[in-house]
Amino acid sequence: MIRDCKNPPLAPRKSSVDLSFLQLLHLADSGFPIGALAHSFGIESLVAAGLLSAADLEIFFRGYLEEAGVVEAVFCRQAVLIARESELEFPRARWLEINDTLAALKPAREVRAASAALGRNFLRAALALGESDILRKALEATEVSSVDEPCDCDTHIIEHSPAFGLVGGVLQFEEDAIVLAYLHQMASSFVSAFQRLLPLGQTRAAQIVWDLKPAMMEAAGRSAACSLDNFSAFTPLVDWGAMEHPALPTRLFIS
Amino acid sequence: MDLMALVRDVSPLTQPTIVRRVDSSLRLSFALDAATQTSVLAECSSEPPLKVVRAFTLEDGAALVHIHNVSGGLLGDDRLTVSVILQENAKVQLTTTGATRIYRARKEAGPATQTTEISLGPNAFLEYLPDPIIPFRSARYCQRTSIRLAPGAGLFWWEILAPGREAHGELFAYDSVEIKTDLTAGARLFACERVRLQPHKYPPSSPARLGPYRYWATFYICRIGLETGRWIALEDRLREVANEFTRPGEMLWGVSTLVAHGLVCRGVVLRGRDALFGLHQLWRAAKAALYGREAVPPRKVS
Repeated sequence: MIRDCKNPPLAPRKSSVDLSFLQLLHLADSGFPIGALAHSFGIESLVAAGLLSAADLEIFFRGYLEEAGVVEAVFCRQAVLIARESELEFPRARWLEINDTLAALKPAREVRAASAALGRNFLRAALALGESDILRKALEATEVSSVDEPCDCDTHIIEHSPAFGLVGGVLQFEEDAIVLAYLHQMASSFVSAFQRLLPLGQTRAAQIVWDLKPAMMEAAGRSAACSLDNFSAFTPLVDWGAMEHPALPTRLFIS
Repeated sequence: MDLMALVRDVSPLTQPTIVRRVDSSLRLSFALDAATQTSVLAECSSEPPLKVVRAFTLEDGAALVHIHNVSGGLLGDDRLTVSVILQENAKVQLTTTGATRIYRARKEAGPATQTTEISLGPNAFLEYLPDPIIPFRSARYCQRTSIRLAPGAGLFWWEILAPGREAHGELFAYDSVEIKTDLTAGARLFACERVRLQPHKYPPSSPARLGPYRYWATFYICRIGLETGRWIALEDRLREVANEFTRPGEMLWGVSTLVAHGLVCRGVVLRGRDALFGLHQLWRAAKAALYGREAVPPRKVS
């Protein structure tokens, strides 16, 4: 008998902590096929305007994690809760609410489109690894817009951090580990984007991501104390960079 | 008579501290007068220190109203509530008579809070153009604004946050400023802000926050029901306008399309007067494009 190994269920294994650790590392890897390396989230504009240099990078990311990092972590956690509560019925309205709220928080349309692309791709990539009724329902709950067009009020997008939290929750990873993994891949992606924009050596880039780990932990810790009623973010220069990005004459990145 | 007992009884050292918190509300309702085709202030109720004297009629039939705060500013624990309703087809321009000053809060006091709820009926139009918010040293402030727009409703609304009393050498000397904003159409939230500045903990000068800039401006341009393509085109147009006066090191202005129903403009500015200048330029271009009308700055009254 040939065992049908195609699309086994994406389910938590009762085996070892080591396997969960490896799976989480894989999902958070910059090489995970979701297109993360195509987006700078406005950093390209800041570099082009001379507002961000290699010397500022660490302090920039520290501030970014203190603000936007905490917000993304809050929504990641909300999605983990949704995964935990989805055993009987997938809470579609809440899933849409957290994605809609996170999208409404982002003033720049390219950033929303980028996050939507990554969120959608992440769910699809996870489903390609193994079937999951929860992830399938999460994907079907939203009508997908193209990267080039902003959404109107009848469409909903899947944001990247909730998608990450939902997959992690389905696989029953520990909540703090999911959030830390998300923040780590976010910081790594940004540093990688910066390396393509300005001279930043591999050793220095690795040092920056290494030194940012306490800031990631602080952001994760602060997000645990937040709810959808009491989080905040203030990144006006980053917002400007993202809003200005469509007008850059030469662009390496989609956002 | 025991004089010493009498003195003790009235001694300031034994008198309890009298704390007077201000709880004030202002309710305004505007309607379109069918006979004159002008917008009128149909209902107005207020408690000091908030006050509205009267509505002025503008050339295009809109009603202009100034919101006065006769106390001059807000103290810790003060609670101000503003409710504004525009009925169907009403057109209103709302402004303040001066900057919103947030005074130093006592150590034990909570933040001064201002809650504003605005409801725009079908095809109503509001230009809400307040003066800047200036938080003094040690001030704590929380602002919550909720704006609901019916089909066809239009909105121009800006906020400017100053770094403090610059002339007194106060730059980011306040304790905290929190700004929460929700814009909804039907049941859908299409724009929101959750801003919190705590300069002593998280420096505004971070390159992820304001960097070298001092003032922050946000400007919403909305009209419910307009198709997405028109917003993209207006975004491009307003970006061209913004680039005419964007000067790195002095001011940066960005424009982008919202999830639906409008645009947001954001400015980071070094000098306060440039914030208002930039907003006026963008407002003028947007109003001409969306309504074919001139943007007339509100006449100020003291």
